[in-house]
Amino acid sequence: MFTTVLQNLFNALQWGSFYSMIALGYCLVYGVLRLINFAHGDIFMMACYFAFFIATFFLSIFLGLPGPVIFVITLFLTIMVTAGLGVFIERVAYRPLRKKGAHRLYVVITALMLGFILENGNLAVLGASSRRFPDMIDKVIISFGGVNLTNLKIIVILSSIVVFFILNLIVNKTKIGMAMRAISYDKFAIPLMGIPVNKVITFTFALGSGLAAVAGILFGMSYPVLDPYMGMIIGWKAFIAAVVGGIGDIKGAFLGGFILGFIEIIVVAFFPSSYKDLIAFVILLLILTIKPTGFFGVAKSTKI
Amino acid sequence: MMLQIKDLKVRYGNIEALHGLNFEIDRGEIVTLIGANGAGKTSTLLSLSRLAPPDAPTVFEGDILFDGESILKTEPHKLVEQKMMALVPEGRHIFGNLSVQENLDLATYAVKEDHQFVQETEDLVYNLFPRLKERQKQRSESLSGGEQQMLAVGRALMTGCKFIMLDEPSMGLAPVLMYEMFRALRELNKNGITILVVEQNAKVALDFATRGYVLDTGEIIASGSSDELRNNKDVQKAYLGG
Repeated sequence: MFTTVLQNLFNALQWGSFYSMIALGYCLVYGVLRLINFAHGDIFMMACYFAFFIATFFLSIFLGLPGPVIFVITLFLTIMVTAGLGVFIERVAYRPLRKKGAHRLYVVITALMLGFILENGNLAVLGASSRRFPDMIDKVIISFGGVNLTNLKIIVILSSIVVFFILNLIVNKTKIGMAMRAISYDKFAIPLMGIPVNKVITFTFALGSGLAAVAGILFGMSYPVLDPYMGMIIGWKAFIAAVVGGIGDIKGAFLGGFILGFIEIIVVAFFPSSYKDLIAFVILLLILTIKPTGFFGVAKSTKI
Repeated sequence: MMLQIKDLKVRYGNIEALHGLNFEIDRGEIVTLIGANGAGKTSTLLSLSRLAPPDAPTVFEGDILFDGESILKTEPHKLVEQKMMALVPEGRHIFGNLSVQENLDLATYAVKEDHQFVQETEDLVYNLFPRLKERQKQRSESLSGGEQQMLAVGRALMTGCKFIMLDEPSMGLAPVLMYEMFRALRELNKNGITILVVEQNAKVALDFATRGYVLDTGEIIASGSSDELRNNKDVQKAYLGG
């Protein structure tokens, strides 16, 4: 019994890690633009594909290179490329709307459409067949007291924690991070401090997409079958997780991901797995009914 | 002349807010713009700040010259980065989720790695407003209105700009705090800061400034030294309570 609980605990932590890393991206963009970037789940999907191509390429040309080295190279390049994609999307889709002073509704619709464009663009270019993510790190199973863990699972969990601490450092200790927090409170005064608003926004998209890239590559390694729609469900779930945790706060979004991970695993432990999403979302709905601002959300008070 | 405003016409959407403003400010001056509510005082400052619509009106005619060069195409953050002018906006717009210290730190965003300048200015701000020092680590939304106003002024100083525009700095302040604020501003002026202050409270503004302009529905209707304006019959009638 105890080992089952422990086993499930680690599964929950792993899924929570994926949700959290994606939820943080929603949270960052929301904080800066008050925009739910509905294309974010598909940026995650694109990251999986980028990682797939980069890893395959390096594995085929550098046959002698050890897996972990290729993993690090792939991680680094995938983060760069995905961050670039996020910044590109912001430039071509969101910034023109912002310049014209478009209502928030149109920006959200644009985000939804962008998601579809990424999914279907991928489908058109690469075809419908799903792809298998190459193995970069040999799977090692670590057993203790009847609990079986793969090294990958540990890497995923540790990565999410490291990523969160780095993000925390950026947001709290650097000037650009300070500007990100300030912009979420009062956008008007940002240029008056000599801060280019667009630069802060660009940085935010790069950061959020970079986090999605870390999630993407690790997800590809853990569940190696890629298809163009894989970002949709996991993206929606991460978004909901962010809201349940409190989307205005990175701590909230991070914990929200783990809350969702735990609820899902617990439901699966007691009910048929086809009930998983149904029961999980009913629970999340209840949480939101009781605390609409999410666990860490604070209703912003405006002061004159 | 440091700042020259030439035949400035601005509009919000299709509504013209300023109908051809002309005025100028030299280094080291304290100048005030007075006028009733809706006269175009805030529109003037926001036009100078170069903030983009919808935060500020659109300039469609005329020019704004800083040291003889047009700043109409300059982005607002560049004005601060090049240390031209800082605006203390109406309603203060401090970052309430940041601490007092963080608000001041953030204002040095464009100040290029000059630790000595940052340290000196920070000392100046805390000397000027000792209350801020006491509340250094506090979330700034927990400050009183007067303290928030002090923080807003402190932030403008931290940008390193030598020309500061203030929009209604006395609004919502108790008289004691208001005088404290103007005393601090006068001290700053003695240290070489040029000040343009917009006020509804004409009496206070004229006591503080050396000269001023009177704005009425988007036009300047009178100008002169503070004494001249105080003795101007029309100004007395309209703005100084007879």
